Amino acid sequence: MAAAATTSDILTPLMTRVAGGDREALRQLYDATSAKLFGVCLRILSDREESEDVLQDVYVTIWRRADRFDATRASVTTWLSTIARNRAIDRLRARGPLAYAEPVDELEIPDGADSAETLLSAADDRNRLHGCLSELDERTAKVIRTAFFEGVTYEALAQRMDAPLGTVKSWIRRGLAKLKGCLQS
Amino acid sequence: MSEAPDLSESEAFAAEHALGVLNARERGDAEARMAREPAFAAEVEAWRERLAPMYAEVAAVSPTHELWRRIERSLPANDNAATTGRVRFWRNSAMGGFGLAAASLAAIAVILAQPPRIVTEVREVRPQGELISASLTATSGRAVPLFVAAYDPDRQAVIVTSLLPEGSNPQKVQELWLIAGKENPKPLGFLEPGRSKIIPVQTDMAGKIAAGAALAVSIEEPGGSKDPNGPQGPVVGVGELAKPV
Repeated sequence: MAAAATTSDILTPLMTRVAGGDREALRQLYDATSAKLFGVCLRILSDREESEDVLQDVYVTIWRRADRFDATRASVTTWLSTIARNRAIDRLRARGPLAYAEPVDELEIPDGADSAETLLSAADDRNRLHGCLSELDERTAKVIRTAFFEGVTYEALAQRMDAPLGTVKSWIRRGLAKLKGCLQS
Repeated sequence: MSEAPDLSESEAFAAEHALGVLNARERGDAEARMAREPAFAAEVEAWRERLAPMYAEVAAVSPTHELWRRIERSLPANDNAATTGRVRFWRNSAMGGFGLAAASLAAIAVILAQPPRIVTEVREVRPQGELISASLTATSGRAVPLFVAAYDPDRQAVIVTSLLPEGSNPQKVQELWLIAGKENPKPLGFLEPGRSKIIPVQTDMAGKIAAGAALAVSIEEPGGSKDPNGPQGPVVGVGELAKPV
């Protein structure tokens, strides 16, 4: 979903039509966004079939909830991606405790930072967040990424890292505060 | 970067919700707060936007060609705009937020002859899913309903009324649990004696709320059970969820 401004120029009116029950608008929204949202599901679930099930659910959800989208509060792409991510994470959590079984050493996301560097284009929001994440200490940045793409709870993180819950929590909160400061500067 | 001030408690909670590190109960709390407090909801949205650039790391992949047809087939028959006004009227106005739950539990409500009090705001709902409900009776002695509950898939929330006298046992809290299949009971939230409450349910939990699953209420110390496997205190009511007849 490159070029946020133009994308949202196209998508926002589509959302309004979807909220009004226009199936053709949903089709157009699907054409414009499904590859990205499928990528998000696939990234979280690493399973094509499951990701397609989730994606189906995502667009039905979008259809039903489009009227709750508020363009003054959220961008379309973030709103859609949030639904896709949450649904995929729900599916991941539903797999049960095995989904959280990876030991601490494997906490890193294999294609995380590196692929980010290669994929990211010009200086825009993405690079700013990426830059700010890289200014955090390595472990905190990794944990924030892991939480984002796997929906790992504090409890599961604490267990994985064999660290007290409070420590993990204050650590992430500090990381988020720094992130915000960095993004504002 | 190292000098960043701490986030306020409220913003930290919003950020954690946007990031996705909250457990089921906290997530439910966050959703409820978003529904109640626009300022908090705006904070969550702002954090979602802040973190959204991470999606740019994800490569776009085309799903199978068939998928659109599957989606089209699974769209609800009624278009959003064509939602029948009548159903909505009953949901929203007849008995306020408790409307449909109370209607489907009419028998129990009549016996009790006590109009439930609404403590949570009414949120707009779309009548598409089917409501399931449970009457939670004492686990010993006579089958007196102590709590009535209904799950509304549209709002993704449990609407539950405690029929215990208002203000009873103020040193303890009533905790609501979902018992699905062979899994340990999962906490859904807290009830208030003599009052109705709308408790949002997170999506993975919502998938487990179906006819045949059960709801239970335990009496716990303030803050609820500390046992991750289920209630610590006595279970005072339990009931199976069933589709309305």
